[in-house]
Amino acid sequence: MTTVAPETRGSVLVRRPGPRELRPVRTHRRRRTLELSLAAAVPALLVLLWQLAAARGWIDERVYPAPSTILVDGWDRAAAGDLWPDVWATTRRVLAGYAVGTAAGYLLGLLMGSLPLVRAALEPLLDALYVVPKLALLPVFLNMFGLGEGPQVALVAATVFFFVWISTMSAVMAVPDGHRDAGRVFGASPWQMFRHVLLPASLPAVLVGARIAAGVAVLVIVASEQIAASDGLGHLIFDSRALFQNDVMFVGIVCVAVLGVLFSELVRFAGRLLTPWAPRDRGRGQS
Amino acid sequence: MGEPYPKVIAHDLTRAFGRGPRAVAALGPLDLTVAPGEFVCLVGPSGCGKSTLLRIAAGLLRPSNGTLEIRTAGPRPAAMIFQDYGIYDWKTVQANVRFGLDVQRVPRREADARAAGWLSRLGLADFAHAYPATLSGGMRQRVAIARALAVEPELLLMDEPFAALDAQLRTILQDELLELTQALRTTTLFITHSLEEAIVLGDRVLVMSARPGRIIAEHRPPFPRPRTGDVRATPEFSALKSELWDLLRKEAVPA
Repeated sequence: MTTVAPETRGSVLVRRPGPRELRPVRTHRRRRTLELSLAAAVPALLVLLWQLAAARGWIDERVYPAPSTILVDGWDRAAAGDLWPDVWATTRRVLAGYAVGTAAGYLLGLLMGSLPLVRAALEPLLDALYVVPKLALLPVFLNMFGLGEGPQVALVAATVFFFVWISTMSAVMAVPDGHRDAGRVFGASPWQMFRHVLLPASLPAVLVGARIAAGVAVLVIVASEQIAASDGLGHLIFDSRALFQNDVMFVGIVCVAVLGVLFSELVRFAGRLLTPWAPRDRGRGQS
Repeated sequence: MGEPYPKVIAHDLTRAFGRGPRAVAALGPLDLTVAPGEFVCLVGPSGCGKSTLLRIAAGLLRPSNGTLEIRTAGPRPAAMIFQDYGIYDWKTVQANVRFGLDVQRVPRREADARAAGWLSRLGLADFAHAYPATLSGGMRQRVAIARALAVEPELLLMDEPFAALDAQLRTILQDELLELTQALRTTTLFITHSLEEAIVLGDRVLVMSARPGRIIAEHRPPFPRPRTGDVRATPEFSALKSELWDLLRKEAVPA
């Protein structure tokens, strides 16, 4: 709850119901409406400003095409079917890399979180690899997997791996001893311990890592497609800039943004379904 | 005393949580009058809205209905002592005790002097520069008490301050608090699960019902002030305790 401002009447301080208490439904509805309209109005206003700037010639329309131009162009390309192959190529790579990276990161994070010897063996090495910019590994992956999908997927997987690994390891290490002890006293086997204690106890923190990784996955695939791919949104963006088709470039950028939002919302939604006991992002009032 | 006006008046006070069909009535309707300098203890089953009442008095929460009036000179008359998490791990003991004074922009020199006074009064002088994490539970709660009293509040709100302590330490801190409050005569609302605590400390003990919490009984422990912890050994104490327990058990059972 928020702190309630005091209302002084003479020398008497009165704690009385506020609007939220007197008309709870209406106040809540107004608040929601305000939040939603702000969320929509701020981007809309910025786009409008951009449109205005383009129309008035404040900015060079050849370099920064008007939003309407981008929209019409994107619509045409989508209708003609030129856009989908690139979107699909990027989505496929992100999903494949994300799946591999999450699975590997989770597995290793779990092992390293619960077995100190494995942690001792691998932590310095992984810490060192963690700080290497993953894009710098692209040439290595190109050598390993040749041209084609391999290096792209591997790059996304390597990036995602580290985010999920770190959050899983720290989450498992942070599981309170009391939880483990209770399981151990009942004689839980390692699998039962994982299934009933470590997995659920660490899941909320793991999902935070997974959500961050989802955004970064999109980030890194676009960068790598610019360098070494013949399709995909990253390729589209750079290629159209080279051809001085700035409107197409912006279509690509918008698609990347939409893809990123959809993907991380999907992960967040999956996380909510997986952890019904965890508090939501927004705290609820305490009694 | 001689002051004709009550310090705190709650009138028809209720509080619900949640909206619409899922709303849960937590408190009341509750009427309460507290005289200046009075030490009022509230006991009741878990979830009966005791803390809600205290949070309304502290201004952390508004009531759903009714009003709570505090007769006071200043805009922030109350200080609150929490069961836990009240004191800050990142401040030294002295800085914790000084916190309320710092917030009120009391000059550093004066604030340090006042904080030091309360530290020695609560036997914390040797730990002034220690961090709370290095202290025992009892010491931490002494820090919380010193911090609340350092601002010289007109109204002291205590939310199960000793609940996290072991039984022996509880008794010791109860006796210390008894001595302090009898000297200070600060108007106090004290919430507890422990009947013993309520009877030892309170001028008045109010028993609350299960949710939504209402006041179902009122008792004045028959021990004149100044009293000490020795009242625990008297037959009147045991009699009152079992009388209150009979009341409370009926409320606590369904929960």
